[in-house]
Amino acid sequence: MLKANFIDYLIITIYIAVTISVGYFLKKYMKTSEDFFLSGRSLPSWITSLAFISANLGALEIIGMIANSAKYGILTVHFYWIGAIPAMVFLGIFMMPFYYGSRVKSVPEYLKLRFNEATRALNAISFAIMTVLMSGISMYAMALIFEMMLGWSLTESILLSAGVVLIYIFWGGLSSSIYNEVIQFFLIWLGLLPVTFIGLKLTNGLSNLAQKLPDSFIHSWKTLNTASQNPMGIEWLGVVLGLGFVLSFGYWTTDFLVVQRALASENMRSARLTPIIAAFPKMFVPIIVVIPGLIAIAILPELNQNSAETFEYNKTLPLLIAHYVPNGILGLVITALLASFMSGMAGNVTAFNTVWTYDIYASYIKKNMPDSHYLKVGKYTTVIGILISIGTAYIVKFFPNLMDYMQLIFSFFNAPLFATFLLGMFWKKATPWGGFWGLLTGILTAATHYILYKSNILHYASEMAANFYQAWWAWLADFMVTIIVSLFTKKKNENELVGLVYGLHKENLFSEKVKLTKKPEFWGVTALILSIILNIIFW
Amino acid sequence: MNQKHFLDLKIPLGIVLTIYGIILSIYGLLTPPELYLKSANLNVNLIFGLLMLSLGMIFLLLSFVKKKL
Repeated sequence: MLKANFIDYLIITIYIAVTISVGYFLKKYMKTSEDFFLSGRSLPSWITSLAFISANLGALEIIGMIANSAKYGILTVHFYWIGAIPAMVFLGIFMMPFYYGSRVKSVPEYLKLRFNEATRALNAISFAIMTVLMSGISMYAMALIFEMMLGWSLTESILLSAGVVLIYIFWGGLSSSIYNEVIQFFLIWLGLLPVTFIGLKLTNGLSNLAQKLPDSFIHSWKTLNTASQNPMGIEWLGVVLGLGFVLSFGYWTTDFLVVQRALASENMRSARLTPIIAAFPKMFVPIIVVIPGLIAIAILPELNQNSAETFEYNKTLPLLIAHYVPNGILGLVITALLASFMSGMAGNVTAFNTVWTYDIYASYIKKNMPDSHYLKVGKYTTVIGILISIGTAYIVKFFPNLMDYMQLIFSFFNAPLFATFLLGMFWKKATPWGGFWGLLTGILTAATHYILYKSNILHYASEMAANFYQAWWAWLADFMVTIIVSLFTKKKNENELVGLVYGLHKENLFSEKVKLTKKPEFWGVTALILSIILNIIFW
Repeated sequence: MNQKHFLDLKIPLGIVLTIYGIILSIYGLLTPPELYLKSANLNVNLIFGLLMLSLGMIFLLLSFVKKKL
C-alpha cells in the first residue's frame, strides 16, 4: 500500500474544493429545465469538445485501457485510431446537423420524431438502464483502486466520490458537469503524464522500450492477418467491422452521454465542431494509456514474476504508481484518477437525468407540467440515479474483467442502434415500425449471440473477438430487419421528416459560408489524415 | 462567448493549476534527492510543478487580457 502524505492529501482536498465551488457558483443560474439539462445551449465549442472527451475519459477508460495494453500491447490503439476518430468525425460532419438542427433534447427524442413513440421508449429505457450500470461499474472500479492504493474502504471511497458528484450536479446540472469536465480533462492529462514520463526515462525512451517487447506487442496491423499471430486473437476483419465500424460508431454517434455535450453548444457550427475538435486530444490519449501499459510489461516486477494468465491486469496502473511515483506527484496522480472517475460518473448521471426526466417521466408519467416541475424532478433524479449506481457498484464486484463487461453492454444496446440511426438519418423510406422492429431484433440478436457464445456453441479465440463479432451481427440484424419491415409498413409523411432526414431540410444544414479554417469538414479531414499517419507509423 | 454563460472557465482552471504548481514546486525544492530514487532520480515534483505553474499563469493571463479588451 502507498504512503500518501499531507501534500498528497492537500492536493486532493484542493481538487474537491474547486469542484464543489464550480457547482456552487452555477447554482443561481439554474432557472429553467433547459439551463439544467442543456446548459441553455450556450457553450463555445472548445468547452463542449473538451467535456465531450472528458466524459468518455472515465475510470474504466483509463484503468481498462492500460490493462488492455499490458495484456494485448499496442493493438489497444485500435480503440482510438480506427475506432474513435472516424466515428467522431462522422458524427460531426454528417449526423450533428440532424441532432442539433432538430432541437431535440435527447437521443431518444430524436427517435420519437423520426420513428415513433415505441422506438423512443425502447431506447430511453435501455439507455437509462445501461447508464446506471456504467455509472455503478465506474464507481466500483474507482473504489477498488483506492482500496488497494490508499486503504480506503469500498464504502468510504464510493461515498466520497459519489457525494461530490451529487453535490455539484444537483446545484449546477449539465453546466456544472461540463465545466468540471474541462477542469478534469487538464488534471487527468497532467496527473497521468508523470507516469509516462518516469516510465520512459526508466526504459530509456520509446525505441528502447520497443526492443524489450515481443513483435506482436509493438505492431498495430502487422500481426492481424491471422488470429493466432496476435495476443488479441482476432484478425483485421474483426477489428475493422466489429470495433472500427460497429462498436465505435455505435458508441460515439448514438450514446447520449457524449452527444449531450454537443447539444449544449451555442450554434450549429460549434455543435458540429464539438466531436471533431475532440478527436484531436482523443488521438493522443494513447500517450497516457497505451505507453504506460507497454512500460508495465517491460519493467513491472509483478508482471515478470506472475505468468500472464494469473496477473490481474486491472492492477497495472496502481502497481506502476506504487513503484515509481513519489509523494507530491502521487497526490496529483490520485487527483487525476479521482477526476476521471468523477467526469465519467457525472457524464452518466447527467445523461440519465435528461433521459429519465424528458423521455420517461415527462412522456409517460406526468405530461404537461410547468417547467419548474421538471427542473425539480431533474434535481431529484440526480439523487436517485446516484443511489441506484451505488447499488450497482456492489453488484459488479462479481464481474472479473471490467473492460470486457463494458464492451458487452455496449454491444447489446449501442451496436444495433447505429444501424437504426444510419437508416433513419439517411434513408427517408425507413418507416416508424421498421425502426422499432429493427432495433428490437438487433438487441435480441446481441443477447442471443452472447448466450450461444457462453454456452460454447459459438467459438472465438478471445472474449474480445467474441464481442467484436457480436456487435457486427447485431448491427447487421438491425439493418436488415429495418429495411425489410420498412418495405411493408406505412411511411411517415415527408413534411413530418423535415430537418430529421438527409435530403429533407429547409435550409442547407451542411454548408455555411465561412473561412475554410472554420469549417467542420476541414478539421474532420485533418483529423482523419493525422490518424492515418499514426496508423502507418505504428504499423 | 454568449453573454448568458455564466463562468469564465479560464479563471478556476488558472487558479487550480497555479496553486498546484506552487505547492509542487516548493515541495520539490524542499525534498531530499532520496525521495526520487523510485522515479529514476527525476525530481518530478519540481518539473511538473513548474509546468503547471506556467500553464496556470497562461490561463489567468488570457482571462485578464480578455477582460481588458
